[in-house]
Amino acid sequence: MNAGAGAERVPAGFRVGGWAVGEPIADGGWGWVYEGQSVRGSDDDHPAAVALKFLPTSGLAPKQARGLLECAHREREFGRRARHPRLIRVLDSLVLNEPDHPELDGAIVLVMERAEHSLRQLLAGEAGLADGQAERILTEICEGLAHLHELGWVHGDLKPDNVLLMADGSVRLSDFGLASELDGTHGTHAWMPPLGTPDFLPPERWKAPLGERGVQARPSADIWALGIMVHQMFTGGISPFPGATPAARGAAAQEYAGGRAPLRLDAAVPPFWRELATDCLAPTHEARAACTAGVLLARIGAETHGSGTGAARTDGDRRRRRVVLGAAAATALCAATVAGWVYVADDSGAKQDGSVHVTNVSDTAGPAAITVYNVEPTCRAHAADRDQQCSLGLAIDPLAPYTVANVVATRVWHGDVLTAQCRLPQGLPVTDEFGTRSTEWYRVRLPGGAADATAWFPAVRTKDRPALPACR
Amino acid sequence: MSGVLIHVPQDPPLTLRLGAGEVARFGRGSDTVGVELRLDDPAVSRLAGEIRVNEDHWLLSNLSATQSYLVENPEGAGEYLRVPPRRLGAPIPFEFARVVLPTRDTPVSFQVFAPDHVYLDPQGAVGGRLGTQTLTAYSLDETATYFLVLVALCEPRLRDESALAVPTTPEIVERLRQLPQCARLTARGVSAHIDYLAEEKLRIVLPESRDVGRGARRNGKREALVGIALRFGVVGESHLGLLPSRSAASGNSVQAQAVGR
Repeated sequence: MNAGAGAERVPAGFRVGGWAVGEPIADGGWGWVYEGQSVRGSDDDHPAAVALKFLPTSGLAPKQARGLLECAHREREFGRRARHPRLIRVLDSLVLNEPDHPELDGAIVLVMERAEHSLRQLLAGEAGLADGQAERILTEICEGLAHLHELGWVHGDLKPDNVLLMADGSVRLSDFGLASELDGTHGTHAWMPPLGTPDFLPPERWKAPLGERGVQARPSADIWALGIMVHQMFTGGISPFPGATPAARGAAAQEYAGGRAPLRLDAAVPPFWRELATDCLAPTHEARAACTAGVLLARIGAETHGSGTGAARTDGDRRRRRVVLGAAAATALCAATVAGWVYVADDSGAKQDGSVHVTNVSDTAGPAAITVYNVEPTCRAHAADRDQQCSLGLAIDPLAPYTVANVVATRVWHGDVLTAQCRLPQGLPVTDEFGTRSTEWYRVRLPGGAADATAWFPAVRTKDRPALPACR
Repeated sequence: MSGVLIHVPQDPPLTLRLGAGEVARFGRGSDTVGVELRLDDPAVSRLAGEIRVNEDHWLLSNLSATQSYLVENPEGAGEYLRVPPRRLGAPIPFEFARVVLPTRDTPVSFQVFAPDHVYLDPQGAVGGRLGTQTLTAYSLDETATYFLVLVALCEPRLRDESALAVPTTPEIVERLRQLPQCARLTARGVSAHIDYLAEEKLRIVLPESRDVGRGARRNGKREALVGIALRFGVVGESHLGLLPSRSAASGNSVQAQAVGR
C-alpha cells in the first residue's frame, strides 16, 4: 500500500462501469478519489461527471484489507440507505475484477456526485469567505447532521475535508467510512473502528476504552466536531485549541475538559456562533447530549430568520426553514431540554408528561380506521407522489428507542388509512415537527402485510381519536 | 491523551497519573514543602524537582542547585539525558523513562510512562496532510518491547496454528529471549508489558465475567488483547518478521509445542 508518492494508481481512461477515469481528486489513507467522465451521455442518475472513490482491498496484508473492506462496506451500505440533499449521493458501487491490475483487483469503487471542492480547500484558499457564506455553510452542515442523527447514524469523522461544496455552493457531507448505526437495543451509541482525526475528537474519546466491537461513538461526538468547525469557519480554519501539532491541540482540549483551562474562542467568531460553538464544545458527553443537531438547527433557524440574512434559497430550503421555526418554538435552547441523550428523530420526547390526547378513553370498541396525517403542508399537498422524504415510519416496539432498527420496512404517507386494533397510552413519547408531543401509540395492521402482521403507529401522526381498548 | 503515569518503586509502591497540563513535585518533602512524590532519602532535596505534562510528552525541572539528574530510556541502547542543576522544563522524549537522582549509595529512581506518543499509521502519509488525516487512535511504537510481546502473543493466530491458544508468559519469554534487546526479559517484565498494553495503550475493556479466579481473568486480558489487535489490524503478518526465526529456536520447545497442538 505504501506505493511511491505520485505513483499513478489508476491509469487515465480506465473504464469503471459507464465512466472513464480522469484527473485524481484526492488521495487519502484508505482510498483514492478520481474524477469520472461519462462515456455514454448523461441523465439524472448518470451525470456527465462523477467522483470515483477507489477503496483498494489487495496489495495489503489480509488483516488490514479486512478492516478496509469493513469501512468500504459501511460507506456503501450507508450510501444505499441514506438519501438527503445534504449528504453526498452514492450513485452506484461496484467491485473491480482486474487480474491484470493487481493493485485494483477486488477494489470497491463508489460512484458519487462530483463536488466542486472541500470545505478545507475553501478555508485554505486565499479568497476568504463571502458575506453570509460561513453561516449558510454551517446551517447546511447542521441540516445534514440532523438528518444523519435522525436516521440513527453517527458520522464519526466530521471535519472540513469531509464537507464538500457543490458547484452551486450547497453543502454535502461525505466520507461515511466510519459512519455507524446507533445500537439497536439502546439507541444511544454506535460502535466504530478506533480511527479518527485527532483535531476533531471529543475529549472523552482520548480515554475511550476499546472493545471487541471497537470504540463507542455517540452523536455528541459529531456535535463536538461541529463546534470545532464553527470556530474554523470564522477564523480561516484555526482550531479553538492552541498548539502547533494535533497532539498539542488534543492535550489542550484535555486540559479544557479537565477544568484546568478555559475555552478561549477567537474574537472573530460572531456572538451567536460563539454561543453555539461553546455549547457544542461542552466538555463532556453528558453536557453536550441535550445539544442535538436538531436543536442547534432550530436555534440557527430562529437566529437567521430574526436577522433576515440568508441569500437566495431554493423552495425546498424555504420550506425547511419554516418547519425549523416550528421546532424552535417547541424545543427552545439546549439548556432547557433534559440532560442525557434523547434520540433526536422527529419522534423524540423528553418528559413522560401527560399525553396530549386524553379524550375518548374507552375499553369497549373493536378495530377502528385511522387516517395518517402529516403536519408538513408540502407533504400533504403532494401526498400522491409518495416521496420518500414525506414518508412516515411504523415502529416494531413502541417502548424501545425509535431507531432505524426499530422501524418496519413498510412506510406510510399522508392520507393512508390504517386499521388500529388497540391503544397504548404510555409508550415512548413522540414529538412531531411542530412540537406536539404524545406518548400514545396505536397497534395497527401492517398495510400490505400478512393478516396478523402488526406494527405501532404514533398517535401524534393522526387526527383521529377512535375509541379503542388498551393493548395487552 | 491520557497524560503520564509515574511509578515510584518503594514500599508501598506509589503510582500517580497526571493529565495534560498537570504538575507533580518530587523530593524529600517537609511540613512546609509539600510534594506529590515523596522520595525518602537524606541525599534528595526537600523540593528536588517537578514533572509537568506537556502535549504528548513531559517536562522535567531540576530544582536542585548542585545535582544533575539522569533520565534513562530503559528500552534504548543506553540512551539517556542529563538534566543539569536549575534547568527548568527539559522536554523528555522517551515513552519509558527512569529518572535517577544521585545519592551516596543506591541511587533513588522512579519511572515515568508517556503512553500518548503519536505515530503515523504504517500505511499513512501517502499524499495526506499531517493534522487533518484520519488516524488509528491507538498508536504503538513498533520498535518497543511491548510491541514484540504483542506480536508474540498474536503469533499462533497469525500463523493459523491455533484459533484459540494464546501463549503463556513463560512461552513468550522463551520466544523473545533470543533477540538481543530481550536477552534480559523476565516473566514479570512480560506481564508488565501486557498490563501496559491493555490498560494504557489499547485501553481494553474486558468481557463482563468478573467472578472467576485470578488466573482466568489474566487470560481474559490476553485473549482480549490478541482479539482486538488482530481485528483492528494493529498487528499483521508483516510483523512476524520482528520475531526471531523459529528454526533457530534453542531447544525447539516452542516449535515442539506448536506441533503438538
